[in-house]
Amino acid sequence: MLMQLTVSGLSQGAIYALIALSLTVVFRATTVVNFGHGDFVLGGAFGVYVLVVMLGLPFLPSAIAAIALMFACGILISRGFIDPIKAGPHIGFAMMSISLGYIFRGTTRSIWGREVLPMPRVFDIPPIFVGDLVITGDAMIISGTVAILLAGFFVVFYKTSIGKVIQAVYQSERGATLIGINVKRFHDMMWGAGLAMGAVAGILIAPISLLHPDLGAGFLIRGFAAMTLGGFGSLGGAVAGGLILGVTEQYAGAYINTALIDITSYLVILVVLVVRPSGLFGKRAVVRV
Amino acid sequence: MDTHKPILKVDGIRVSYGKKEILQGVDFEVAPGETLCLLGANGSGKSTAMNAISGFVGCTHGKIELDGEEIQNLPAHKTFRLGMVQVSQARDLFPQLTVEDNLKLGAQVRSKSTMLEELERVYDYFPRLRERRLQRVMTLSGGEQQMVAIGRAVMARPRVLLLDEPSGGLSPQFVNEIGTIISALKEDGATMMMIEQNLGLAFKVADRFIILRDGVVVDGGTVADYADDHEQVVKSIYL
Repeated sequence: MLMQLTVSGLSQGAIYALIALSLTVVFRATTVVNFGHGDFVLGGAFGVYVLVVMLGLPFLPSAIAAIALMFACGILISRGFIDPIKAGPHIGFAMMSISLGYIFRGTTRSIWGREVLPMPRVFDIPPIFVGDLVITGDAMIISGTVAILLAGFFVVFYKTSIGKVIQAVYQSERGATLIGINVKRFHDMMWGAGLAMGAVAGILIAPISLLHPDLGAGFLIRGFAAMTLGGFGSLGGAVAGGLILGVTEQYAGAYINTALIDITSYLVILVVLVVRPSGLFGKRAVVRV
Repeated sequence: MDTHKPILKVDGIRVSYGKKEILQGVDFEVAPGETLCLLGANGSGKSTAMNAISGFVGCTHGKIELDGEEIQNLPAHKTFRLGMVQVSQARDLFPQLTVEDNLKLGAQVRSKSTMLEELERVYDYFPRLRERRLQRVMTLSGGEQQMVAIGRAVMARPRVLLLDEPSGGLSPQFVNEIGTIISALKEDGATMMMIEQNLGLAFKVADRFIILRDGVVVDGGTVADYADDHEQVVKSIYL
């Protein structure tokens, strides 16, 4: 049973990891905590729902279009709503991201009401049996897709010249400007990348869950919990935090009480902030001057 | 050295922070291959002038020309692309990246195709950095970090190199080393404008100086004319 719970938890945690990583990408680049991110994750899910169910398009092109749409949304948000308020108080960013998320959520409610929207299954892969252990097709698709995406992300980030530029801007925006980087455009790209990565999570969720406009709130808090657990701003920590959170939810639900699944994230945030505020991988940089 | 046509021309620039006017009409020129030093007390407007040239602050009036092209009020990343490369007082390095990564990033935008040649050139100027090339910058001493900052700027093949207090916070030994390196850059034909409080270093490497006070140029001359009379320069700066 423990192994089964672990496999299920890792599959669920992969989604949380992706959401936490996408939140962290925006946070590291812009210092903005995107409180509307859960709704943008849902944007990917609803985007693919509209294209597949309402317009009858195939899943894969629809998924790519939804990701591209959310990337464009990210750039629009950066240019139209975040950049103009950068001279104001920092809390304005939080207020703005909450407002944008709620506007998005309200729009979906006004179109679809509060009803639950089923999406046809897309991944029809038979489960694999390893002894008593069952690995579902959904788990394989989700874990496999997220693993490939994360591997690609970290290779680009640590091994390519583009990754070095991103690391440079993360570490010193003024320094980046001094080497000719257009930091404003970089922020646009990171908002785009953050929303596109969140959209991937939404698209992976869409075929295996019932969509409704309030679904994003749960994913936002899980993303925050994974970030907190991994350490704010740590990219690897966000991934580890997401996976650990997914497994912890499964263990708590199975061994203690199923009601705990919904509050595990809040408990994780609470405990981590009290016991180890920097999370598992967060650290204070010490610079010799 | 063509001393007739300046590569950098600053013509009556005014800069304000809110209602306070920091630069009140500043004019000067830098000829190709020349090193000009901006002197002045704290708050005289030296750094503001440099930041206006590099594009970090905007001008309310006046013109800045780089080789005849107007660059006033261009954002800093664009002036960099045109060859106006600044080493800031805070250095603004990437502390968690290695020395070599920091240097290579300097060439990312302007001289990517010749990056490896530039890297060798910088290591020739700074042999100490070659030894530390795989070390993270945050583990280096202040003087070594200053070398990385200057090396990163040199990697971009600047048309004008702007140095904001290169000796700031360094030990006398490192000030000497930095002075030697700036002299070597000058011998190789670099055009530089620097801000420097250390008159010994300023007069070792500069050809000419101007003195700013309360946002205007109040004095100036060639270093050769004042080589044995630093006291007169100090009086002009502070009195």
